[in-house]
Amino acid sequence: MSTQWALVFFTLFAGLGAGLFVAVTATEWLGDAKGARLPAAVVALVALIVGGISSVLHLGHPGRIFGALGHPGSGIFLEMLLIGLTGLGIIVYMVMLWRGASDSSRRAEATVTSVPAVILSFAVGNSYVMASRPAWHTIVLPLLYMATAAVMGCFALSVFTSLRSDAVATKRTALATLIALGIQVILIIIYLAHLASAPYADPSRSAGRVLSGSLAALFWAGLVLCGLLIPAGLALVMRSKKAAKFSPLAGAAVGLVAVLGGGVAFRALMYGVGSAVKNYFGI
Amino acid sequence: MHNCLVIDLDRCSGCHSCEVHCKMENGVGLGVYWNRVLLVGPTGTFPNIEQYALPAQCQQCKDAPCVNVCPTGASYRDKNTNIVLINKEKCLGCRYCMMACPYGVRWFNQDEKVVEKCTLCPQLTSAGEKPACVHNCSTAARLYGDMDDPNSDVSKAIAAAGAENVHALPDVGNHPSTRYILHKKVATWRES
Repeated sequence: MSTQWALVFFTLFAGLGAGLFVAVTATEWLGDAKGARLPAAVVALVALIVGGISSVLHLGHPGRIFGALGHPGSGIFLEMLLIGLTGLGIIVYMVMLWRGASDSSRRAEATVTSVPAVILSFAVGNSYVMASRPAWHTIVLPLLYMATAAVMGCFALSVFTSLRSDAVATKRTALATLIALGIQVILIIIYLAHLASAPYADPSRSAGRVLSGSLAALFWAGLVLCGLLIPAGLALVMRSKKAAKFSPLAGAAVGLVAVLGGGVAFRALMYGVGSAVKNYFGI
Repeated sequence: MHNCLVIDLDRCSGCHSCEVHCKMENGVGLGVYWNRVLLVGPTGTFPNIEQYALPAQCQQCKDAPCVNVCPTGASYRDKNTNIVLINKEKCLGCRYCMMACPYGVRWFNQDEKVVEKCTLCPQLTSAGEKPACVHNCSTAARLYGDMDDPNSDVSKAIAAAGAENVHALPDVGNHPSTRYILHKKVATWRES
């Protein structure tokens, strides 16, 4: 299937918004990065809005979107609902920050909002899990969407902790980033194994095409280099004793751009291998 | 009632007549298909080579994934005929149904911004006629009728062919209704 760019950016920004807000929630529980919470929450909300607008751009008749309200079992309805709930929760959280609500009530509100945020990061990938596309028919796919959301959220938060010169929070976020990247590596390996063993084998969705064929540049340069190696290297530097020699803000910003690029590469790769069981019309 | 197509590949010459008449009857544009004739093969080693034509269109799945994923109910199953259809006035143009179709036999109409597919010509069948592809098949390879009626053309053709010569496209849980008749003496059915 050709790359649906509007959906690529929908899932990318929805993942960024969800991941960033969950990272903010983590700071509430850990009690650090206090100065970064409000700007991070604002950016998380903006990311969700940008994602929502991107999804609308994909539609041939956006005006008919309300027809989805009558079919609550559809993936689009669930995504709309989760974006709405997460966005609303973030707005309430921002008001609580602004009004100086107590730590416990703020923490509780952020935790409750993180539930639809986490489900959203999974659901945007789960919508693609379908038997008609053997390369997509695995639970690993939505888990990869979750993992990329976690990495994007961590790097986005570290931009704000760096801006506030919060070295402790930046180091802690870098550790979370490394853990998320490690999970992502494991999931990518499992996904490649899925490609190699999926039913109705076809060259268009083979692991060989990803590793050494026409999608290899996207995989190695986009996903591995931009999405894994550069962010992992930057996170390691942020945690090292030599971190003081480097600008943490520059590192976090470069890392965020790299993981966004990796996220785009991963999604484009997914469309690249997403051929139907039989593609009779050559679409 | 379960109306669908049965296509006798023993008889199909691959003339594309069904494709052309589908376009003429339904106003299907240039480069767009609701029905497409493909060639399977040639396979084997000379002189034992075989090839057959495979007309592909909506398979009228019993558990249609396109209907299941449609967020607005635009893709639906007609209650009277059990035919899967699209209500263009409800279609969002999200193309989710195109992703869910295991055979890639839906098409996005760039002018109308909606998804289209084979309808089995209800404008003709409701008046007692046959779909354009069936009526105009030059070798009478295409049959249309009620699979639930043992006296229909499709049921009789399937019974006459024998179970070992009746095939369907790969089933990933969608249960396609369209059946293809192909005897081994003509060519070996190839699923993949």
